[in-house]
Amino acid sequence: MTDNLDKSPSDTPPPGDTVSKSGASGPSPEAIKAIPVRHWGRWVSGVIVVALLVALIFAFSQGNIMWSTVGDQLFVSSVVQGAGRTLLISVLAMVVGVVLGVVLAVMRLSKNPVTSSVAWLYIWFFRGTPVYVQLLLWFNLALIFPVLNLGPIYKNEMTDVMTPFMCALLGLGLNEAAYMAEICRAGLLAVDEGQTEAAHALGMSHTKTLRRIVIPQAMRVIVPPTGNEFINMLKTSSLVYAVTYNELLRSTSAIGSTSYAVMEMLFVASIWYLAMTSVFSVFQYYLERYYARGSSRSLPPTVFHKIKTNMLGLGRERGNA
Amino acid sequence: MTAMVKSESVHKSFGPLEVLKGIDLEVNTGEVFCLIGPSGSGKSTFLRCINHLEKINAGRLYVDGDLVGYRQKGSKLYELKDSEVALKRRDIGMVFQRFNLFPHMTAVENVMEAPMQVKGTKRSDARDRAMELLERVGLGDKAKNYPSQLSGGQQQRVAIARALAMDPKLMLFDEPTSALDPELVGDVLDVMRDLAESGMTMVVVTHEMGFAREVGDSLVFMDGGVVVEAGNPRDVLTDPQHERTKSFLSKVL
Repeated sequence: MTDNLDKSPSDTPPPGDTVSKSGASGPSPEAIKAIPVRHWGRWVSGVIVVALLVALIFAFSQGNIMWSTVGDQLFVSSVVQGAGRTLLISVLAMVVGVVLGVVLAVMRLSKNPVTSSVAWLYIWFFRGTPVYVQLLLWFNLALIFPVLNLGPIYKNEMTDVMTPFMCALLGLGLNEAAYMAEICRAGLLAVDEGQTEAAHALGMSHTKTLRRIVIPQAMRVIVPPTGNEFINMLKTSSLVYAVTYNELLRSTSAIGSTSYAVMEMLFVASIWYLAMTSVFSVFQYYLERYYARGSSRSLPPTVFHKIKTNMLGLGRERGNA
Repeated sequence: MTAMVKSESVHKSFGPLEVLKGIDLEVNTGEVFCLIGPSGSGKSTFLRCINHLEKINAGRLYVDGDLVGYRQKGSKLYELKDSEVALKRRDIGMVFQRFNLFPHMTAVENVMEAPMQVKGTKRSDARDRAMELLERVGLGDKAKNYPSQLSGGQQQRVAIARALAMDPKLMLFDEPTSALDPELVGDVLDVMRDLAESGMTMVVVTHEMGFAREVGDSLVFMDGGVVVEAGNPRDVLTDPQHERTKSFLSKVL
């Protein structure tokens, strides 16, 4: 044991590793074999929860539901198209939100009082009113501005400009920007001031410091809530039903109301929403993992590795590799 | 000998609190200049003024003959643009108490970053130079490690390599060993000693009296925002003239 302390190897490993190595050098005592504590409470609560679950499934099986309709309508072209539009409007609104949000965050943090208060005002309005109201405001904009006149650049009837798609995009995107601005601001503020100082001391400009040093570190703070925002957006996009944009909810309920399968079509919509949010949760996980590099001594395990260690008990093998 | 750093009656306040109350000193080219004193004496603040991380309120501060942060035309002073300040900072390396390595980059990437981004050095050249510097601070085998995987002493040595990568003519050290475990201090001081022997001009804020005595060419004892005593480190440390210096040294030695 003392050997390890006096003559540490040239590449001193982090303290975590030495434990396993030093264990091998001395005569190790017999491994403990004890009878584990019985958790009776866990068994009882487990049985109760399973019983409730079975009751719920039974209730649904007895309900007046045409399950075959759910299966039949799941991949009908108008439903698939609706899901595609939901995805499209969510992604585009999110892009608008992120880009504008970054701009607003930088504006809010700027030393110029005019830009920072304008950004504050924007966030105050778009965060302070419901997104549903905002969507209806865009939808009815033609009532107060019949013509969109941008001088020599562009002129058109407002009703032609404000298509359902544009209403949906502006309504969702501009609302999202307010939330993204706050998320980005928090991320930028979370980066230690010493980082900026170190970069400046090396002769890096403000923009280079922001782009190369601050933003990559802020991303670690920004990405998880942004993922949540996107998953939220996938669901909030169902509100654009109100501005007659033909997304998933609208296309499924159209079928539902004509074929008297209202609940069935809502199930179809739910399945699609769940599928989309699930896929993006996995995507988000890997994105977080990428931006976490360097922040912890070892990267967090991937989903597959987690399953391997926690379920199948194969985790030890990796430690030795 | 020319003065690398020249300070004439430098004043600095944070709001109502006056931290520097007229600092006069000169750092000659090629010398190791140690700043010691109790915390709150303004020594770190003065160091940060030298590369304009802090703006001085009064007096004049010159680095290599140029005014820090300003340009003088006639009797008028003009503030330098951020880009001009950045240009000046290229020549001044700084090592922080808390290392401030970029945590999202590996050791070698930390060292490569400034030459590539600031000087436009080619990636392969920057990498070669970075590896050379990491070898010099004894961390050639840690190039691919992230800062979080390195001990404090190793991180600080990477930070020194990072500053050296810009080929500075002046190095500033802000209590480089204060955040380290006692047994790791030696490695960092060894690197600094080598650097001093290579002829680098160094301004070192430190509590390491042994280092100041062995390596230092000049020493200044600061307290309450003024220079209390200055001279050869061996003289000041063994035979302080002022009461304040005596009582400080009696506590730290």
